[in-house]
Amino acid sequence: MSNVRQYELVYIVPPETTEEALADLHTQIAAVTDRFGATFEKTENWGRRKLAYEIAGHREGVYVLEVINGPAAMTAELDRRLRVFDIVIRHMVVRVDEQLQIADRARTHRKESMASRRVRRGLPPEPTEQERNRRLEDSDELDGPEMGFRGGDR
Amino acid sequence: MSEFEGRGRGGRSGDKDKDDKKGGAKRTFFRRRRLCKFCVEKIDYIGYRDVKLLAPFIPERGKIQPRRISGVCATHQRALQVAIKRARQIALVPYVTD
Repeated sequence: MSNVRQYELVYIVPPETTEEALADLHTQIAAVTDRFGATFEKTENWGRRKLAYEIAGHREGVYVLEVINGPAAMTAELDRRLRVFDIVIRHMVVRVDEQLQIADRARTHRKESMASRRVRRGLPPEPTEQERNRRLEDSDELDGPEMGFRGGDR
Repeated sequence: MSEFEGRGRGGRSGDKDKDDKKGGAKRTFFRRRRLCKFCVEKIDYIGYRDVKLLAPFIPERGKIQPRRISGVCATHQRALQVAIKRARQIALVPYVTD
């Protein structure tokens, strides 16, 4: 386990799946990830949801999200194992750490540049409560006409 | 919508109209400059799990809205495209609807 990366695993099981079956599935997944020395960051059960399209005769499904920190080799194995389980009707493993890092960097960069700009103008680095409220009102005004693009704007 | 149909039916007459316009008529309609929603609202991460965020960019047919219409900037359109495709894969968003 040289390079630990963050992955999101989403899988869908039929709505009639029992709690035990779901727990069993989770332990089986945990067994695979353990072998690679991976750790679970969090597990989220979104519950019953309508599927956007029919999958294997199902119109609804229970979504489960697992955020896993582990090596790249793990994903191939996870993918292979999940394909074998009959109760998993759809699954997807996505690497997320890079994108989250980029987003994080953009956020801090924006914050810093805003602070430095404010300091140059002789203001405190953080916007005051009053200013923040005013900005919220402004952005609402911007929103209105912008959402009107849906009506055949060709 | 109906305007489009009318143009489609008679190809020739449509062309004639165009020629007429070229002469004098100015383009009087003003279109507000569209802003990239993600830039304006400072959304850094476009995740595939956030259906509410993606929904405005998926018109009824289920296709991805082109950015010439939605006004999304190139950087964010690329991220949006990936997010929508992932959301489709796990049936959060349809591939097609008719």
